[in-house]
Amino acid sequence: MIFPIGAMQRTNSEKVGTETYDAVIVGSGIAGAIIANELGRSGKRVLVLEAGEGTGSTLNGYHEYLTRYFATAYKDNQSPYPTNPDVPMPRSSDARKITPGIPLTSGYLVQNGPFGTDTTYTRVFAGTSLHWEAKTPRMLPSDFRMQDDFGVGVNWPIAHSSLNDYYEKAEHELGVSSDVSVQQDPKLDLRFRTGYDFPMHSIPLSYLDKVVDRGIRGTSVELFGETFDLSVRSFPQARNGVPNPAYENGKGFAPVGAVDTVQSEMGGRCQGNNNCVPICPIQAKYHAGKTLAKALQNPDVHILTQSVASKIVMDENGRVRHIEVKRYHRPSSPEFSSLNVTGKVYVLCTNAIENARLMLASGLQSRNGLVGRNLMDHAYLLSWALMPQDCGTMRGTNCTGGIVNLRNGRFRTHQAAFAADIHNDGWGWAVGSPLYDLRLVVDQQNLFGPELRKELVRRINRQLLLAFMIDVLPDENNRVSVDPRYLDDLGNMRPVISYTPPEYTMRGAAYARQLARLVFQRLGAADYTAYDPADYGYITYEDEGYIIRGGNHLAGTHIMGPSADRSVVDENQRSWEHENLYLAGGGSMPTIGTSNISLTIATLSYKSAEAILRVI
Amino acid sequence: MPNNPITTIPELHEHLKVAMQLEHATIPPYLLALYTIRPDTNLEATRILRTVVVEEMLHLTLAANIFNAVGGTPDLIAPDFVPKYPAHLPDGETDFKVSLRPFSCAALDTFLDIERPRKAPTPDKRMIHKGARRFAFSLQHPDDPKHELAYYSIGEFYEAIADGLRYLNNEHCKGGSPLFRDKNQVGPKYYYSGGAHLIEVNDLKTALKAIDTIIQQGEGFDREDGGGFIRSIVTDDGELSHDFRFEQLKLGRYYLTKNAEGKPDKPGHPTGPELKVDWDAVYPTKVNAKLTDYTDYPELHAAAVAFNREYFCFLRLLNSAYNGQPNLLLTDLVPKMFALRNLMLQLIHVPMPGMTGFNAAPTFEMPSEEITCPEKVTQ
Repeated sequence: MIFPIGAMQRTNSEKVGTETYDAVIVGSGIAGAIIANELGRSGKRVLVLEAGEGTGSTLNGYHEYLTRYFATAYKDNQSPYPTNPDVPMPRSSDARKITPGIPLTSGYLVQNGPFGTDTTYTRVFAGTSLHWEAKTPRMLPSDFRMQDDFGVGVNWPIAHSSLNDYYEKAEHELGVSSDVSVQQDPKLDLRFRTGYDFPMHSIPLSYLDKVVDRGIRGTSVELFGETFDLSVRSFPQARNGVPNPAYENGKGFAPVGAVDTVQSEMGGRCQGNNNCVPICPIQAKYHAGKTLAKALQNPDVHILTQSVASKIVMDENGRVRHIEVKRYHRPSSPEFSSLNVTGKVYVLCTNAIENARLMLASGLQSRNGLVGRNLMDHAYLLSWALMPQDCGTMRGTNCTGGIVNLRNGRFRTHQAAFAADIHNDGWGWAVGSPLYDLRLVVDQQNLFGPELRKELVRRINRQLLLAFMIDVLPDENNRVSVDPRYLDDLGNMRPVISYTPPEYTMRGAAYARQLARLVFQRLGAADYTAYDPADYGYITYEDEGYIIRGGNHLAGTHIMGPSADRSVVDENQRSWEHENLYLAGGGSMPTIGTSNISLTIATLSYKSAEAILRVI
Repeated sequence: MPNNPITTIPELHEHLKVAMQLEHATIPPYLLALYTIRPDTNLEATRILRTVVVEEMLHLTLAANIFNAVGGTPDLIAPDFVPKYPAHLPDGETDFKVSLRPFSCAALDTFLDIERPRKAPTPDKRMIHKGARRFAFSLQHPDDPKHELAYYSIGEFYEAIADGLRYLNNEHCKGGSPLFRDKNQVGPKYYYSGGAHLIEVNDLKTALKAIDTIIQQGEGFDREDGGGFIRSIVTDDGELSHDFRFEQLKLGRYYLTKNAEGKPDKPGHPTGPELKVDWDAVYPTKVNAKLTDYTDYPELHAAAVAFNREYFCFLRLLNSAYNGQPNLLLTDLVPKMFALRNLMLQLIHVPMPGMTGFNAAPTFEMPSEEITCPEKVTQ
C-alpha cells in the first residue's frame, strides 16, 4: 500500500485556518481513517487532526517503533510507542491498587476506582490499531437485545441485521481472515448473508489449539437448564491469510501489506511473529495507516499531525462553530500554537474515553447527563496451567483459537457471557513469561548451560493460558469525567475514571474460573492460577478472590439510543443536541457483548459516513 | 539461423529447463548481496534487494508452472542446475559475469546487467553463432547435442519461448492433442509474495501471461508511446521494474511511479526522496569463494560444506513442491529458508583467516556425491 508522497504536508496551520472543510475528523485511528476515506472518495474536503507525530506513515518510522520495542526490557503493550509529554497516554505500568477516597494521579488517567484498571490506548498516527490484537468477531443478535432477551442492560436502537452490509464492508477494509463455514453458529444465532464469505481464509489453528480441542471434545456443561458442548474454534482476525479466490463472486482479494511511500514487499501474509500486541513486525496485521494511505490518495484529504483538539466551541444555536487545536512544536516542549479549525460537520474519533473527555472539557455535558457515563471495558479473567505434553507454545499469532460456546444462552439473564482465548504466547500476560520462567529457573532452580535451556524449553513449551473475555453491562456509575485540577502539559484536562466491574460480570468471572478448572482437568494440565490480593486488579466476589484485567475495549460513554432523553447519539452516531457533531467509536455502543469492539466500530463508521454524505 | 528455433516439444522443454536454471541462478547472488548488508543499516537497500529476490523466486515458480503445463518435469537437483560462479550470461555481443559478491556498486552493476538485457537490433540477430560465446547454461539441440544454441540476451531468450509456445499450440490444435494440461501447478495459495502475481498455467493465454510477468517485472520492457518505443520505469501493473529499483540505489534517489505531473519518472531522472546508501556498512565477503579457499581451516570448511548440503536438500524439497506437492511451500520450505539464512550469516560474519579485510562466504557448490537429506519437518 503506497502512501502518497507529500500527503502529510498538504496543509499547515496558516492554510487550515483559512478554510471551512466539509468534514473535520479528530483522530486517525480506525474510525477516523474509514470516515476520512469514505468522504474523500466521494470528493469531499476533509481534515484529519492527529495528536501524535506522523511516525508510522513510513517504513522508517515504523522501524523506529520496532527498534524501540525490541530493545526494551519491559515489553508492555505500549512499549514501541514513545512517551510524548504533550500527548500523554495510559500505560500498564501506571496501574496501582486504589485506596478508597484517594484518587490515583500518577499516570495519565486519574482513577477514583474502586477498581484499578490497567486499560491503555495509543495516541499516535493510526491510533490503537497499531497496538491491537486484531480479533474481529461480529456482535451477536442477542447482544443488541439484552433488555428484551434477558432483562438486563439496554437494547440497541437498531436491529443487528441492519448492520450486515456495513459489517461486510468493514471485513473487507480490515482484511478479515475467516470462513463462514467455521463462524456460522445457530446456537449463537450468528448467521451471514447467503453466498457471503470472508476475503481470506481462517488463520490456521495452532498445534496448542488442537491439543486443547482434542482434550475437551465430548465435554459439555450445563447452565440454567441449557447444555453447551465445548470445542475450540478459530477466531476471525484482521491479519493477512490465504486469499479466498471465491471472494466477491470470484473477484478474489489482494491482501494489503506494509505501508510506505514506495512499494514494499512485506506483510503480505502473517508469519506468526507472536508479538501482534503491541506491534506486528511486518504489518501483516491491519492498522488504520493502510486505510489512511487510501484516504490520502484523494488530494482533498488533508492531515495535520501534532495537533491536539482541546476545545469544541459552540455557537448560540448549539452547532459547533469551530474546534480549538493546540499544535505543539516538539514533544519535549509544552510550547504550542493555537488555531481554530472549521468544517460543515465535525466527527470525534478519539475513542470512548477521549471523546467524552473532550466533550466534558469543552463544557458539553448533555442535558441527560450521559456524556462520559456507562463506561464499559471487557473484563478479562486469566487462568493458566502447565500441559502434560509439549504444545509448541510461542508460535503463531498471540491467539488463533478459543472456546466460544458460552457467548450466548439463557444464563445471560443471571450472569455475563464470555469468550475464552487460548493464548499462543504462554503465560506472558499472566505472570510475564518467558522472563518469569528465566528468573525462576536461574534464581530458584539454579540451572545453567544446557540444563537451563532444556528446562526453559520444557516449561514454556507447555504453557497454556486461557483468557476469558467477559461481558460488561452499562452502568451509569462507571464514568469518565474531568476536573480542572488534573491537567496535562498542554493544559488539557485529563480523563478522570470511576469504574468497577458490575456484579453481573463478576458472576460470569466466577463461572469462568470454574470452567477453566474443568478444562484443565480434562487436559490433565496442572493448574497454576493464583490471584495475589496485593495486585491492583484484585476483586473479591462471594468470598473468592479474582484478578480482573482491562481489555482496552472502551465503550458506552456517548451511548447510542432511540431518543435524546435516553442517549447521546442517534443510530448514525450523530449528537442529538448538536446537529453538526458526530461522536464515532466504541463510545456509541450500548452493549459490548463478547466481541472485541474494533470490527463493530469500523462497521458503525461506514454507517456514519453514509449518513454524513447525505448532509454535506 | 532460424528466427524461431523452437518447433518441437523437446526443444521447448530444453528451453524451459534453461529458463528455470536462469531464474534460479540470480537468487544466490541477490541473497548474498542482501545478507552482507550489516544489520540495521541500509534499510532501503535491504528492502529493495529483498523485494527483487522474492520476485525472482516468483519467476522460478512461474517457469516451473509453464514447464509442468507443457508436460515437462522440473528437476532442480540435476547436476548442472546450480551454476558455477562466476556464471556467464548472454548480453549483446559479449557475455557478462555474474559473481557472488557482497553488496557493492559492482554487485549492483551486475544486477542491472541481468535485469536490463538488450534487445537484438533485428529479429534475425536473435540467435548467435555458438563460437562467439560461453553461455553459462548450455542449451543443446535435443536431436543434435553438438549443436549449441545461444541467444543475444535473456529477453530474446524468453521471446523465443513465447514464440515457440504460440507455434506449438497452433500445431497441436491442428493435430487434435492439446499442448497444455493441468499439471502440478503452484497457485497463489502456496506462494504469497512477489506482488501476488502467481499464475496457474493451463493454456496459451496463461502461459503467455506467465512469460510476460517474468519479462515485465525484470525489464519493464519498451512501451510504444505515440511513435517510437520508450523505456518505462513501470510494468503493466504500475510497479517499478527490477532494473529501475536497483538504479535507485546507484543514483541515490527514489523513482516515483506517479510524480508531480501524475506520470512515472523518466528513466535516469528519478524525482522521489533521497535514498542514502552506506557502502561501508557491508561484510566484505570474498568474491566467488570456493571450498578450496577453506582447505586449511577445517571448521570453516565444515560450515561451508554444511551450507551447501542444506541448500541442496532445500532444492530437493522445492523440487518435490514443483512436482505435485506444493503444500511443502507452506509447511517446510519457508522455515528452511530461515535456516538457510542463518547458515549463510554464520559464514558471512567470519573474517577469512590468512586474508585480512575479507570475510568468508557460502560457496553454493552442490555436493557431487549422494547425500541423505533429513526427514521432512512436519508430521
